[in-house]
Amino acid sequence: MSRSHLVQIRDLSVAFDGVPVLHGIDLDVAPGEAVGLVGESGCGKSVTWLAALGLLPAKARVSGQVRLGAVDLVGAQRATLEGVRGAKVAMIFQDPSSALNPVIRAGRQITEALGIHRGLKGKAARREAVRLMELVGIPDPARRFDLYPHEFSGGQCQRLMIAMALAGEPDLLVADEPTTALDATIQAQILDLLATLREEMGMAVVFISHDLGAVAQVCERICVMYAGRIVESGPVGRVFDAPRHPYTRGLFDALPSLTGPRTRLSPIPGTVPDPRALPQGCAFAPRCARAVAVCSLQRPRLEPDADGRALACFDPVPADARTPAEAQHPAARASAAVRAVDEAAPPFMPGPHGAGPAGSGPDRGRWQEAAQ
Amino acid sequence: MTLDVMPDVTRDTPRKAAPLLEADGLVRIYETRKGLFGQPVPVRAVNGVSLKVAQGETLGIVGESGSGKSTLGRMLLGVDPSQEGVVRFAGAPLPAAGTPAWRALRAHMQMVHQDPLAALDKRLTIADQIREPLDIHARGNRAERRARVAELMQAVGLRPDQAGRYPHELSGGQRQRVVIARALACGPSLLVCDEPVSALDVSIQAQVVNLLADMQAANGLAMVFISHDLKVVRNLADRVAVMYLGEIVEEGPVEAVFAAPQHPYTQALVSSVPAPGKRLDGRMILKGEPPNPAARPAGCAFHPRCPHAVASCRAEAPALVPTAAGRRAACHLVGGADRLAA
Ligand SMILES: Nc1ncnc2c1ncn2[C@@H]1O[C@H](COP(=O)(O)OP(=O)(O)OP(=O)(O)O)[C@@H](O)[C@H]1O
Ligand SMILES: Nc1ncnc2c1ncn2[C@@H]1O[C@H](COP(=O)(O)OP(=O)(O)OP(=O)(O)O)[C@@H](O)[C@H]1O
Ligand code: SF4
Ligand SMILES: [Mg+2]
Ligand SMILES: [Mg+2]
Repeated sequence: MSRSHLVQIRDLSVAFDGVPVLHGIDLDVAPGEAVGLVGESGCGKSVTWLAALGLLPAKARVSGQVRLGAVDLVGAQRATLEGVRGAKVAMIFQDPSSALNPVIRAGRQITEALGIHRGLKGKAARREAVRLMELVGIPDPARRFDLYPHEFSGGQCQRLMIAMALAGEPDLLVADEPTTALDATIQAQILDLLATLREEMGMAVVFISHDLGAVAQVCERICVMYAGRIVESGPVGRVFDAPRHPYTRGLFDALPSLTGPRTRLSPIPGTVPDPRALPQGCAFAPRCARAVAVCSLQRPRLEPDADGRALACFDPVPADARTPAEAQHPAARASAAVRAVDEAAPPFMPGPHGAGPAGSGPDRGRWQEAAQ
Repeated sequence: MTLDVMPDVTRDTPRKAAPLLEADGLVRIYETRKGLFGQPVPVRAVNGVSLKVAQGETLGIVGESGSGKSTLGRMLLGVDPSQEGVVRFAGAPLPAAGTPAWRALRAHMQMVHQDPLAALDKRLTIADQIREPLDIHARGNRAERRARVAELMQAVGLRPDQAGRYPHELSGGQRQRVVIARALACGPSLLVCDEPVSALDVSIQAQVVNLLADMQAANGLAMVFISHDLKVVRNLADRVAVMYLGEIVEEGPVEAVFAAPQHPYTQALVSSVPAPGKRLDGRMILKGEPPNPAARPAGCAFHPRCPHAVASCRAEAPALVPTAAGRRAACHLVGGADRLAA
């Protein structure tokens, strides 16, 4: 981790109407890096980046630091933020219909962005906008330039937003569920496109998605969030081959599969806690099959593990537990074999996984005073 | 639960009951204008689609973005007009949109949309939105409606304390659960779902998929389930129809179609499905321009991108014909299926 960071988020917290929804996020993005952000609906994935870019409504209380080079974006002047947005950091929003202006022709929305960020005007702007529309796979872009957003399909709107985001040639693209509305073949093209743009423009990507498969293909590193905190992070290969936080594991178990018998899906029991009444201790404890006594009393801190990941759990899944992904996808077995070699190094968690954490020394370090 | 799957076209066995929903030769043409003074260009978004859905059956619809899935879904409910063709619900042609007869029918056929924010009224609390169809169709008294709203909210995984919230105060996934609860409010017999779980995280997606399966088992709910997520479609659907450029190019029992796709487009689609542990480079990424519905290629619409295309593909459009038990495909080289495997 010696690369200097493009964006450095420290202790980022957000509260709405006095209710905290983000509880101190630490997250770094290196130049050109691709980081995935996953987690259940409402866990704060979007709010993290909306806060970082100063896009939350005024009632939101934001604290902490978001460093972009020498600038701290938290509490920065409007002019500073406007200079950053689109030009240095661009964001593709989750709801395409809310981000495209319905009464402005699609092409013009892109040329406007080109005017603001790159000073392109007239014919040149139009040419570049058509090129961008083509790049993201809009059929017949020259003719469709003058259509309104409602005249495009849902997936095409999503691609238009990617084109707009690319208009400023940003250093970092925050893509919030960018392939959610796309079919698998277009999704594959977009993921390919993001990979190519990263390579050619050296652009970093933060990829917010609930599609674990898509995250695996685009990202090098993954952060799993739960109830406003990061609960597991690490290299994609390792986290996906052997998810260790019971929550991460639960996400994998909930996935349907394209092969094998059709069985009832296994959602994580219960629901995400109300941010106004977060459980004391580990926020996941009430839904966790592995929870032990201490879990409902004290909050596990996010601590680095020996294998390059960070984990916030008193009783993580053992590193050698077979994942459903391996059981379902033969292709995954190859990487599982590679992993087996990695694990020749002694695992961080000693002892049988059923043992309470109080007995195992290294876990003491995770403990922290219970949340108020 | 075994369901009466699609009528076996190859053997023409008598069906148990008339299909709940039947579409015949649907065509939808949008007019778009080129430039300020240009001629209107007709876009055939849906180009002759026929399908049947039996009571309690789920038909999955997958296909290229822009292939007309959403348009078709709206046409099945009569929300979008068709230039040609007819939709029959429980044996009778749909009444014209906007008429009292059509409105009354809408209690039985509901839609869940792709974009929850657009589907919800920004000024209503979520409890009010879920109660709205109960009010419109005059279901139960006030107390019963309130109880039904609470029941629905719990069923889709919303907390009671969220009842008084407004759509913009919810996360994307929470909003879609409101939409689903509202669609289920009147106990419809047909649900057309357009990407209903795309905005949901995997755990809630699993809950909603199970919920829809339960609704179906308990009430004989029929579903048209539009989704780009083949894994979800496989889990929920009995049959699947694959669309490309406004047409169904392949149709059949979902497990059979995804295990051994016959049409080259379906083959590309199935191979593109991302899975943890599957690398990007192992995929069959489609080359060539995405299709433009305003300028349909001659012959097979897929031929410019098809790795198997032969001379006849450029000249003649293949018909959707039976290829195996319960399966149909529109490809000159299928049926014939083993030639593609080579
Ligand atoms: N404008 C707002 N006012 C009040 N609460 C909000 C607002 N925006 C978000 N929240 C709350 O903040 C929390 C985090 O929301 P966020 O949109 O970041 O979730 P997310 O992880 O992006 O979820 P999803 O996967 O559904 O998009 C949620 O509890 C949400 O209800
Ligand atoms: N109101 C409209 N006016 C003109 N063209 C339209 C309109 N609505 C849709 N289209 C076009 O019709 C075609 C089919 O659109 P539709 O939304 O049905 O596709 P879809 O299969 O649902 O795509 P997606 O998977 O991206 O949601 C597209 O080419 C689209 O651009
Ligand atoms: S019909 Fe011909 S061109 Fe079309 S998909 Fe089949 S093989 Fe390819
Ligand atoms: Mg979000
Ligand atoms: Mg659609």
